[in-house]
Amino acid sequence: MKRTGYLYDLRFLLHDTGPYHPECSERLQAIHRGIEAGGLLPLVKVIGAVKAEIRRIEAVHDPSYIRRFEELCLCGHRTFDFPDNQMCQETYEVALLAAGGVIEAVRQVMAGEIDNAFCAIRPPGHHAEVNQAMGFCYFNNIAIAARYLQDEWKLARIGIIDFDVHHGNGTQHIFEQDPTVLYYSCHEHPTFAFPGTGRSFEKGVGPGVGTTRNWPILPGQGDDEYRKLIETDLWPTFDAFKPEVVLVSCGFDAHEEDDMSDIRLTTGGYSYVMQQVVAIAEKYAGGRLVSVLEGGYCLARLPELARNHVQILLGEEIPG
Amino acid sequence: MFVHRSMTAKVITIGKQASLLEAKELMRDNNIRHLPVVDEEQKLIGVITDRDIRGAMPLENVRLPDFCKKMEVVTQLKVGDIMTPDPITIGPHDTIEDALLMFEQKKVGAFPVVDGQGHLKGIISVRDILRAFTNVLGIGQPGTLLCILMEEKVGQLKKIVDAITEEGISFGSVLVARYWDENKRAVFPYLLTNNVMRIKQKLKALGFELLDPMEWYIDQLPSHEPKG
Ligand SMILES: [Zn+2]
Repeated sequence: MKRTGYLYDLRFLLHDTGPYHPECSERLQAIHRGIEAGGLLPLVKVIGAVKAEIRRIEAVHDPSYIRRFEELCLCGHRTFDFPDNQMCQETYEVALLAAGGVIEAVRQVMAGEIDNAFCAIRPPGHHAEVNQAMGFCYFNNIAIAARYLQDEWKLARIGIIDFDVHHGNGTQHIFEQDPTVLYYSCHEHPTFAFPGTGRSFEKGVGPGVGTTRNWPILPGQGDDEYRKLIETDLWPTFDAFKPEVVLVSCGFDAHEEDDMSDIRLTTGGYSYVMQQVVAIAEKYAGGRLVSVLEGGYCLARLPELARNHVQILLGEEIPG
Repeated sequence: MFVHRSMTAKVITIGKQASLLEAKELMRDNNIRHLPVVDEEQKLIGVITDRDIRGAMPLENVRLPDFCKKMEVVTQLKVGDIMTPDPITIGPHDTIEDALLMFEQKKVGAFPVVDGQGHLKGIISVRDILRAFTNVLGIGQPGTLLCILMEEKVGQLKKIVDAITEEGISFGSVLVARYWDENKRAVFPYLLTNNVMRIKQKLKALGFELLDPMEWYIDQLPSHEPKG
């Protein structure tokens, strides 16, 4: 069995998005409940959140953006940049804890203290741009973790797989010129889904051409389409890139019962996707993998999706 | 929605006495394919394109002496000799829809924009029109497209717009299109939000059908209509 880290912290629940917002603290409680009810808590190493150092955030975001976020938050503003981004006075601190927690999970994996990890955090990160909050995201957690790996662990090839149903515009833009970070995203086609980027012709910029890859999925598609893209595109792309570590933007919103999208990935389909992602990390990165929560809004399905996700990280069989 | 808002106003021009080589370099240096030809009063007298120039050049696979002889002729040619005189133009207060339809019919890549006195005001290209329509569709901004089926009767669209407005969601654009069922319309609001869960549920509760976008192919529309 693998030594799997599980980042969870009650303080993540303090980020209050107000009534009727899909990115709510109940999501995280549902995820935790699933992992707990699955009897997995004794099997994982629970990691608590720590606040990220500002220099780690500044490796991705503009200092002026970070200051603006902090000030608006402390002054009691309820939204940031777009009405989508609801916040409360604790949001800034919670966002620091989420980013810092992911860095800590990554550190433990790199130090060999654990093999892999799942970070059940909020707020999510993959829509956050260098200078702009977007799509419920404030700090781009996965980008901050990747920069930490570059700066602290001097990694030359970092692979990011983003299977949230929405395109991770922020992550793509942050690394589109960087040939040492492969950003691979599959998501609902941008003509239909937020945020409208991630078309197949977006392949990177300048020296980064070739290390950005987008696979848009048409509405109504499900397990078969994911199987096809993983076999014919994800594997060849990672076979060529050979990452030293795999980071996962893990969104559960492609699930067939999730109302945020029109994609119909089943619970079993999610297990298949994650098993393949783990196999890629196994083949090229010595199993080093850190999965970071992004979206996923179907409270009824999150428990089983999270439980299966962690079981796969532990290397356990998933009952079909 | 007017041409003068979408055109390139700082237009590069040339006189009819200029040589073809001058025209060619001007196009290359500015990465453009159309040069309006103007007189001393900035009145439009013609247009010269990169294709006109290429057409005037000798083919490179002819024998060298012939090539040189033809090149000699070409170097004597002036812009006025090969330009299209009296080109098709558009007015600054014509709309971009006018321009769109003209591009479709006239098969040229750009129209000089000319006022009532014949003075050149700018140039509008297919690329300018594409940019304008990208703006109109709102697709440069982050958002989500909904696909809604509504009955063709008074007040339906208002209900949809009201429901979306009540949720505090801003519109990028709204397209309304025909549907196979003549009594229905397909409505495509582009909403500037990621948060579409509640509005989707609300519209369903109001009795609207959310379309599976894959069942709605614009290109297939005619084949579904009764043949007659
Ligand atoms: Zn998402």
